[in-house]
Amino acid sequence: MTVTGLWAGTIQNDEAFKAAVSSMGKTDKLVLMIYTADDCPECAYMKKKVFHDPKVEKYLRANYVIVEKNVHRDKLPDGYDYFGIPTMFFIDKNGHKTETIVGSKRAQPFLIELRRIRGMK
Amino acid sequence: MKALVWSVVVGASLCAFDAAHLKKALEEKECVGCDLRGADLRNVDFSGGDLSRSDLSGADLRKSVFVMCSIDDANLSRAKAEEAIFWKGSIERSDLRYLSARGANFKGTHLSHSDLRHADLRLTKGWKADFTEAKLDYTDFRDAELGDAKFVRTDLRRTKLKNALLWQTTFSEVVMSKAQCALAKKEEALLDGNVTCR
Repeated sequence: MTVTGLWAGTIQNDEAFKAAVSSMGKTDKLVLMIYTADDCPECAYMKKKVFHDPKVEKYLRANYVIVEKNVHRDKLPDGYDYFGIPTMFFIDKNGHKTETIVGSKRAQPFLIELRRIRGMK
Repeated sequence: MKALVWSVVVGASLCAFDAAHLKKALEEKECVGCDLRGADLRNVDFSGGDLSRSDLSGADLRKSVFVMCSIDDANLSRAKAEEAIFWKGSIERSDLRYLSARGANFKGTHLSHSDLRHADLRLTKGWKADFTEAKLDYTDFRDAELGDAKFVRTDLRRTKLKNALLWQTTFSEVVMSKAQCALAKKEEALLDGNVTCR
């Protein structure tokens, strides 16, 4: 018997992740999965300010596909526990987690992290 | 010789905690009105506890966790609290003068009516913290994250805010220097009509 709603499944079976990988086509991007919550100013800062910084946005578009999960509303994949919001997981298209960042960052240091993580893959 | 005697006297008074109070605090996470002066409270989890009205002056709180802990009406002056976590705690009407809390977490912490003069809060995370009517002369917030925090009815002209993150930070009925006002506007802080920039 399968109990839906309690078992979230693996990242490979996560619908949002599958859609993100599908959207990449043959490009070699990474998935940036960000955990957010409604009452989280740091999350809003990342989403509204940092992700839309011109340099960050350009780099994100070229190298990442963003998936957002609201920790209070969405099913969270197994193996992706969090301590603090926002948490950002970086995942390759095969579903391997390469890096995790907890908390917000200003645009410039975040861009450096994005480049470093992209280079690690 | 006089200086040596003085330093011994001051040092002794800073470490004069009550052993029974320390035991109670460590075992129960609750110790209201306790004498914990200079106590070694490093790496202790006080989450959900109550240390209100306690004297923690000069105590070592480094890397301790005070999540949703009440420390109202307390004395934390000259305490060491680097990398401590005060997330969603309450530290209202408390004495935090010369508190050394570089890199600590004050997210959602209530600090209204507290005295933070000369406190070292560099690199702290103070998202959504409440500094209403707090005393902030020479408080060092350099490189701190103060997004969505609230500064109401306070004078910030001597507060160090260089490189502080002030996105959506609320400033209401405060006095700021012109440079601080320029920084706040650049950071997209929310300044109401009662902010004085001079």
